[in-house]
Amino acid sequence: MSTGQIILIALFVYLGSIGSIVGNTIGWYTLGRPLVAAFVVGVILGDVPTAMIVGIPLQIMYMGNVTPGGAVAWDLSYATYIGVAGALVFGQGLAPTEVIGLAVVFAGIGGLVGQIMWNITYALNLPLNRVAQKYAAAGATNRMFVPNVVMGQGIGFICRFVPAVLVLSSMTIASAQADFATLIPGWVTIALGVFGGMMAALGMGIILSFLLKKNYHWAIFLAGFVLVTYFHLNTMAVAVVAILATVIYYVAVTNLAAREAE
Amino acid sequence: MRKKIGEKTLKKSFLNWFFWNGCSQQAESMLGMAFGQSMAPVIEELYDEKEEKAEALKRHITLFNTESQVGSICNGIVCGLEEANANKECTPELISSVKVALIGPTSAIGDSLWVATIIPILLTLCLSIAQSSPSTSWLGAVVYMLVYPIGTFILSWKLFKLGYRSGIEGMQGFMSTGKLNQLTETMTVLGLIVVGALTASFVRCTLPIQIVRDVFDATQGVMLENQVIFNADSMVNSIFPSIVPLGLTIGVYTLYSKKNWSPLKLMGLILVLACALTFVGYLTGFYA
Repeated sequence: MSTGQIILIALFVYLGSIGSIVGNTIGWYTLGRPLVAAFVVGVILGDVPTAMIVGIPLQIMYMGNVTPGGAVAWDLSYATYIGVAGALVFGQGLAPTEVIGLAVVFAGIGGLVGQIMWNITYALNLPLNRVAQKYAAAGATNRMFVPNVVMGQGIGFICRFVPAVLVLSSMTIASAQADFATLIPGWVTIALGVFGGMMAALGMGIILSFLLKKNYHWAIFLAGFVLVTYFHLNTMAVAVVAILATVIYYVAVTNLAAREAE
Repeated sequence: MRKKIGEKTLKKSFLNWFFWNGCSQQAESMLGMAFGQSMAPVIEELYDEKEEKAEALKRHITLFNTESQVGSICNGIVCGLEEANANKECTPELISSVKVALIGPTSAIGDSLWVATIIPILLTLCLSIAQSSPSTSWLGAVVYMLVYPIGTFILSWKLFKLGYRSGIEGMQGFMSTGKLNQLTETMTVLGLIVVGALTASFVRCTLPIQIVRDVFDATQGVMLENQVIFNADSMVNSIFPSIVPLGLTIGVYTLYSKKNWSPLKLMGLILVLACALTFVGYLTGFYA
């Protein structure tokens, strides 16, 4: 990666993190999602197709990572930007499944760094309350953005941008030392491929725990499953079928509710 | 003359919240400072005396937390209450207690409906777009980048205005009509079908067990070397295709939701299983 590419990716690591200057809707919930992050990294590094090959499974794996209640289970922004960049830099010459396995490993490293940095910002933000109280006591309505945005995100930017630059630079330096595709033993790449394929179960399992509320919901889930395994539809086709089924279901449910109300 | 918050000020208050609600999150006041910044333009417009402004600001930088996108309804409601207070129709104590009371229900709706249902469903739909063809897989990402932020912005602004116009009663009405439940249930159906399809297409787990022998072909009268006479994976798949990935997913679901395993612990388990399967695969000659 060139210096410019490292700075750009690190900047997006910051923008995609919780509470960044562009807001959680555009930041954490959009730029921080692996599907979007992979596209952004792909554009920056000039290899969108490979980035998307890695990004789709990463998104599935981390689908369950939605931080209910504000607790950060895993720092998604760090995990995916570092994971995709790592896979693109080190995975040249490897088969797609192995590149995915590689991305999972780098995402793990990135997620760990991000998690530590999040805990640090959470502590460093505490004294800002004193500043806010001082301005509030003075009735300075036009100064309330200072502790919240200027100081809060000053801390946020330093704690997220700088470590990301360090991690990405060391990755670049390491990748220049040797051709990793030939260096990694065969059994490691096979294990990585197996691991990457199995990790998708994690995201699906967690998302199921949000969606499955009644026992008959299993039948609906399995309907989607067998449409692919028996009928060989692709997921887009299933999505279209699902939307149609949903419309019918909605009409049935609202009609039932209306009849009960009578 | 009755004091009223102008449209411009309301917009400013909303934008302050929409963009910067998470900027100074910490354990002491959570989103308190962000809420204070969101209320600052409203307070500036409603109160004339410096002391009144200080009092109002002080009560809005205290502890506050919610799911901020759906939670913009809280800001709207509090704007309405501050306006009433400036007209001597409400008390600061009431404003503070309403604010605290709003934390629970708005967080619950926001987290369970928006964050844990709408976002994953939208993502799964965009994933199906991304997966349908390798050459246009970027399209899935672009669709999400446009639909999610714009949709959420509109919803968040509408909820803010609903909160301001109809206050607590409006929110209760919105929550108790049952429409919300029907909508959630319907979206769940959509989500479940797509998640089922994604599980079938993305979770990969093979049983790397096979028996390789030299077999004697009686018809030809020759020894055939290294014939696969038993393959566990193709055997189970002939009973029910992709049954192993399905079992793995259900296993992860059970451990996560019934046994309360953390995602990190599950990741560790999957890593161990992957290594074990690779080892078995080498032993039986499935890999290599």
